[in-house]
Amino acid sequence: MLRALNAEIAGLWRARGLLAIMARRELAARHAGSVLGVFWLYAQPLLTVAAYYLVFDVVFKLRLGESAPTRAMGAYLIVGMVPWLAFTESTGRGMMSLLEAGGLLQKNPLPPALFPARSLLTSAITYLPLMLLLVAAYTPMHRGSAALLLLPLLLLMMLVIWFLLAYALAILAAALRDVVQVVGFILSIGAFLSPVLFPPAMFPQGLAWVLWLNPMTPSVLGMQSLLLAGAAPGADVWLALAAWIILLAVVLDRLVLRSREQLVDWL
Amino acid sequence: MGQTLSVTGLSKLYKLYDSPRARLRALLTGRPTHRPHWALRDVSFSLDRGQCLAVIGDNGAGKSTLLKLIAGTLQPTAGTIERGGRGRVTAILELGAGFHPEFSGRDNLRFAGSLIGIADEEIARLEAEIIRFAELEESIDRPVKTYSSGMAMRLAFSLITAVEPDILIIDEALAVGDQHFQKKCVERIASFRRNGCTILFCSHSQYHIRQLCDAALWLDGGNPRLLGPTEMVLAGYEAHVRTLDARRAAPAAAAMTGAPKALEPGRRGAITSLTVTPLGEGEPPVLAGRDLTVSITASVSGDERPNFGVMIEQARGVGITVVATHIDGVTARRNDDGTWTATVTFPDLPLHSGEYVVSGYLADSLGMVIYDEWHQYGRFVYASPARLPGLVTLKHVWS
Repeated sequence: MLRALNAEIAGLWRARGLLAIMARRELAARHAGSVLGVFWLYAQPLLTVAAYYLVFDVVFKLRLGESAPTRAMGAYLIVGMVPWLAFTESTGRGMMSLLEAGGLLQKNPLPPALFPARSLLTSAITYLPLMLLLVAAYTPMHRGSAALLLLPLLLLMMLVIWFLLAYALAILAAALRDVVQVVGFILSIGAFLSPVLFPPAMFPQGLAWVLWLNPMTPSVLGMQSLLLAGAAPGADVWLALAAWIILLAVVLDRLVLRSREQLVDWL
Repeated sequence: MGQTLSVTGLSKLYKLYDSPRARLRALLTGRPTHRPHWALRDVSFSLDRGQCLAVIGDNGAGKSTLLKLIAGTLQPTAGTIERGGRGRVTAILELGAGFHPEFSGRDNLRFAGSLIGIADEEIARLEAEIIRFAELEESIDRPVKTYSSGMAMRLAFSLITAVEPDILIIDEALAVGDQHFQKKCVERIASFRRNGCTILFCSHSQYHIRQLCDAALWLDGGNPRLLGPTEMVLAGYEAHVRTLDARRAAPAAAAMTGAPKALEPGRRGAITSLTVTPLGEGEPPVLAGRDLTVSITASVSGDERPNFGVMIEQARGVGITVVATHIDGVTARRNDDGTWTATVTFPDLPLHSGEYVVSGYLADSLGMVIYDEWHQYGRFVYASPARLPGLVTLKHVWS
């Protein structure tokens, strides 16, 4: 069962020291040459969040209907948008990771899984502090509910989905470069096919199922439920998360099996 | 102790797809849509500690594929590779790539070190020596984007050879930097070998192959054609190349070049003249006597005592002999103007009648690095008193 994938994970675990070094260097490379350095890493998402808060909750004071976990439009957007931004960054960079690592992989015997894992890790390092900040900021809304204890599990399942997806897309992109364009487009409009911008109840009844085709839907619903309402996410969220993990693991296992021998030649 | 490297039935199949689209389809459906191409088929050999194997063959014969399989960057389709002992493998494939241009040389050094599996503490310990060997003390803290390509390659070579491997794989990488650095590279590789490192060496330089390797593997279209002692395999390969050349009917005489060159800055040595005496009339001139004398003069920077080599070949055909000062244990003569001259005489030339060419070589004090060569420079016709078919008159005794 999933032998090819297990071998990849084992290889990744053996190279975990290298993974940490690579992630640190990737972060350093992103702001190499800039004066404010690491500040920029956190400034971009933080400023985005601040803009949402100011525009929606302070200036326009937009309110959502009964069906949303909160009435404040800004808070709703922020809690969905932060994981969504992290997801698009991790997936976009992860998809390119193998193509960009071609030179390294051709000269050094390294496990290919290192590169999508590095993209995931750097995105996580960038966005995790921000998520914790949100947890703290919205605690007064539900007075520190015990359901927050489920947050680590939710984040873990979310990261597993991201990794599997990024690695699978990286292999597909290695086989056919056009994948990068198609996925890039989907990522840019994907927020509309998710509960990030509108509560699911606002979607046309017949089309609500489309939401579940988005791997981020269960994670976003879970985050909103935990952070805004302080309520444990429903069974549909956990089931959808598990289903996505199983589906992606099976697909990735096939892809690894079929590409393992020749992957490096495609880069 | 035993074998350091044992390769059995190693094969590599490349799946050639007509288009990337077909590649994606195969990936998604699992249905084969490729044309198979065997880059390497059923290669087996084993090497002991300290052995050096040359891998030779035409372009596309599978040499690089074999080296990459052993280095572990490619996965074999069939067959096994066993590495004995600690089995540290270092591959010098293409140097200098993988450096980040914005980071300093020191920073890149640490990162590239972790990529090839040198632990942080070890890098810290080796750092000074690596920088010293690369001769980058002045510029190690500048960003790599300010380096010349030679500097980046020096840093890469210095790093990759900082830890002595059990198996060293070299793919045409001996041409690193200027001649001075090349010499250091060759010396370092030779010292690895003396210490028992097993070497796989892929090069078009027959001189280096002869110097370093005690066995050779000739690959032809992915198949092992001949495996054995270096000289035997090289002779077979040379004959094969000659047949190919003859078939292509390329005018080999066009290779006759060699105007005397001045010693350019950064060059370690250059041949300034090569004379063949005594020559008479004709084009090419006829050797006017029974003794052939070849004299080479060269300038070398510094006080290094260079070595000289002379090769005699048939004008169209086989090589006949190579003689060299370091092989014969003689030293070149220093002239008053600082240049060096070596003169070799072949008394009572034992060649049969025919047209011959002479090449001259200038090498470093160890005879490892070739500083200059005048390939097929001198040309002469010899009329032998022997009126029998053949190539040479061998020393012989009737009884």
